[in-house]
Amino acid sequence: MKAFIAFTKKEFTESLRTYRLVILAAVFLMLGVMSPLIAKIFPELFSGVDMGGGLTIIMPEPTVMDSWIQFFSNVGQMGMLALIISFSGIMANELSRGTLINLLTKGMKRHTVILSKFLSASTLWTASYLLCLAVCYAYTEYYWPGGVLHNAFFAFLAPWLFGEFLIALLILGGVLFGSYTGSLLSCFGVIVSMLILNIFPAAQKYNPIVLAGDTLQLLNAQKELPDFIPAAILCAASVVLLLALSVVAFNKKRI
Amino acid sequence: MENLQEYLPFLIPLAVIQLGLMLSSLIHVLRHKTYRVGNRVLWVVLCLVVSVIGPVLYFAIGKGDE
Repeated sequence: MKAFIAFTKKEFTESLRTYRLVILAAVFLMLGVMSPLIAKIFPELFSGVDMGGGLTIIMPEPTVMDSWIQFFSNVGQMGMLALIISFSGIMANELSRGTLINLLTKGMKRHTVILSKFLSASTLWTASYLLCLAVCYAYTEYYWPGGVLHNAFFAFLAPWLFGEFLIALLILGGVLFGSYTGSLLSCFGVIVSMLILNIFPAAQKYNPIVLAGDTLQLLNAQKELPDFIPAAILCAASVVLLLALSVVAFNKKRI
Repeated sequence: MENLQEYLPFLIPLAVIQLGLMLSSLIHVLRHKTYRVGNRVLWVVLCLVVSVIGPVLYFAIGKGDE
């Protein structure tokens, strides 16, 4: 436990020194401000534009849902991309520099490394996501007060869960390939195969990728909670499985 | 866009973050000689042109060890 705490502390210091913490906070803060702005500015940019021949575009007034539509698409795309890039070197940096050798030969357990890295990365991700959500909520509530959101807790929990899945995936990729390109490519490979799998309607219910942005449909009650539960359970189980696999692979790896 | 003032509460923080990210990464690129991947020209262009993701990429992948 002592080793775990010490290593986790070291991870946070590293995040601070490599600017990872600041960058993630800045990116997610920006996404939180950007989402309501795009929702508000978009109709104004296009409404009243004369398309020629007397044709004008009339855009409906933006609503509270437009802001959340932007939130989910921004976090689901740019947010996840920033998360993946930021944590792509989470294992590879130490493996390629050999900084773990001293710690491991002094008797630190290998699973401590994996679990501690996962814990510190998820803490960073949770904090950035909450920051983004809080800022977006504040702006949205200010400009469109009194909006009704259905199943808000689960709808906002889902992208967070998918982020945890990505972190576990990056750790496994880093352990297996020992380089950040391996980590990145394996992560993108899994995402692309999930996107392809999502073409089949039968798989959609169980595909964790729907958690990255589709839970928007919960907010406006287009879909119900049970539509997403199987994917969420599968996603949470995958996180545990990926971490277990990482520990097994790391135990067998020559450092 | 007649009432720009209405958008200022959004635009000021956005501009601060965007410029902050761009400038800090640019300064870092110019003050260091070695990069893990790529060269100075590549990183200057990426940091200036690709908003947000450029600086994120640089700090995660491009920045050399100190």
